[in-house]
Amino acid sequence: MERILTQHTGYDDQRGLAAARARGAYEGLRKALTMSPQEVIEETTSSGLRGRGGAGFPTGRKWAFIHPAADQQVYLLCNADESEPGTFKDRYLMEHDPHLLIEGLCIGAYAIGAHTAYIYLRGEYASVGAVVEAALAEARAAGILGPTLLDSSYQVEIKIQLGAGAYICGEETGLIQSLEGRRAYPRVRPPFPAVHGFMQQPTVVNNVETLANLPWIILHGGDAFARIGTERSSGTKLISVCGAVNRPGVYEVEMGYPLREFLANEAGGILEGRALKALIPGGTSVPILTAEETSGLTLDFESLQGAGTMLGSGGMIVFDETTSMPDALASIAHFYAHESCGECTPCREGTGWFAWIIDRLLAGEGRSNDLALLLRIGRNIEGHTICGLGDAAVQPVRSFITKFGAEFEALLPKTPDTRPDWQRHGHGPRTARHESPVEEAARSEAVSGPPTARL
Amino acid sequence: MSILSERSVAMIEEARRTAPSAQSVLLTALRLTQEERRHVGVEEVEFLASLLGLSNATVDGVARFYDELTQEPTGLHRVSLCRGIACHLRGGPAMIEELRRVLGVGPGQTTADGLVTFRLVECIGDCDHAPAVMLDDRFLGAASAADVRAELDRG
Repeated sequence: MERILTQHTGYDDQRGLAAARARGAYEGLRKALTMSPQEVIEETTSSGLRGRGGAGFPTGRKWAFIHPAADQQVYLLCNADESEPGTFKDRYLMEHDPHLLIEGLCIGAYAIGAHTAYIYLRGEYASVGAVVEAALAEARAAGILGPTLLDSSYQVEIKIQLGAGAYICGEETGLIQSLEGRRAYPRVRPPFPAVHGFMQQPTVVNNVETLANLPWIILHGGDAFARIGTERSSGTKLISVCGAVNRPGVYEVEMGYPLREFLANEAGGILEGRALKALIPGGTSVPILTAEETSGLTLDFESLQGAGTMLGSGGMIVFDETTSMPDALASIAHFYAHESCGECTPCREGTGWFAWIIDRLLAGEGRSNDLALLLRIGRNIEGHTICGLGDAAVQPVRSFITKFGAEFEALLPKTPDTRPDWQRHGHGPRTARHESPVEEAARSEAVSGPPTARL
Repeated sequence: MSILSERSVAMIEEARRTAPSAQSVLLTALRLTQEERRHVGVEEVEFLASLLGLSNATVDGVARFYDELTQEPTGLHRVSLCRGIACHLRGGPAMIEELRRVLGVGPGQTTADGLVTFRLVECIGDCDHAPAVMLDDRFLGAASAADVRAELDRG
């Protein structure tokens, strides 16, 4: 398989400009600058490249939405907020080949007519930011970045913005809000960022991995890229695999690679020779697959979509036969409860109820209609929020309960509950009077220190 | 009177010169403040608001949104244990207890000498080293609780 993204990530000196250039860095940009911006967009469109952040939207089409008025400034924002649980591929790329991202950003900026680009990095990636900042400084000093992009008359400046700990900043309008120095409350669309984005200007937000594909596409042509992978998923994909496998890590595979083969070969098989129980293919925001469901699937957008889940971010989480699914779901539910930004009521309240109910089930205090209640809360969230976080929080809850029902039913009380609805549901997670045991423990423990920590 | 170092104020003002708006510098300013003052309290909010020409409510509202910005002072060092799903599957719950033992405080707490704050954080993208631990801004990789203690003792 031809490697597009990880061709040079194995070299220790690849972070340095001289070594990277010796291996061909910035040659794609050099070629792009001999083309018109329109031609770069067309090449990218013909490559079939789809966004690698999770949604899979065609990159060329996203760019083609940009039509700035004469007095407007176009911005390119790189989404390096990588916070989807189980996802660590962008970090790997930036740490090992920062110039690949910078080159991709320059090509993208040139294509859409942006002179300023921002890399929005999650706050926890400050050390990654230092690596990218050093690479930027070298590129500036060498005259690649700045007023004369690689000796052309085009000007590009790239800045880094570090976040400060909020999952919602990975949502593109949340990212824009955060970059403007606001709470990262996602914006209602339309207007889309292509029209009213950063500072109300036309804006494109692209993921790190998406941008890193551009140098190869420009150098070898969109058609060559389209021949790799499957018909509707061209190119390769970085898969970050974690959980119950022998070799967790980041691997580049051709789109269409068999999932089971990936598990056995790249991931090194299931930990300690155990059996596979379940697998989440693209971060916790996509539905889980049972072991049986994974057979025959391939790693690409359409195969996983056909199985009722998504390729998502490529963050693969593997569960072996010893895993308690209700226990795993509790961990995931607490993530969404903590990271819901609070803007939309169904998500803010619903994610809290999810975590609270699953906790009480685990504590042996479940009520007989709790599983139905969880599904009902999910229906009340889905489709009723500004951004996708609410929908994302529903996917694990619904898929865990429906696919591993027996484990959840075993937690229900043995005697039927005949109390009226309002008594059976409880008072909810935000009422101190009825805290779950886990929350109570967390509260009594958090005597000092930041209020953010929770069990 | 400035409650931030000259260096930090200079960095904020330099960022302001090239930023498209005063507020777009706020996140950077808040990060610098947290780093230097170890929290963003009332005094810090008022200082940044007047420095950037924003209202106290704007600064405070933004500061409270982000997890890394705290209202109460954190310890000199922060030990952050990931509570994401990958770490949960690979020994996260046991690691909480081990860290509690070597640090002497539980999640959300700061040691009495103000040296270390122990935090549980959401998935930090180090899932191949589960359970993942960070010391301040540094990923410690596959570290045991004893490794964390040793790193702290090294200063």
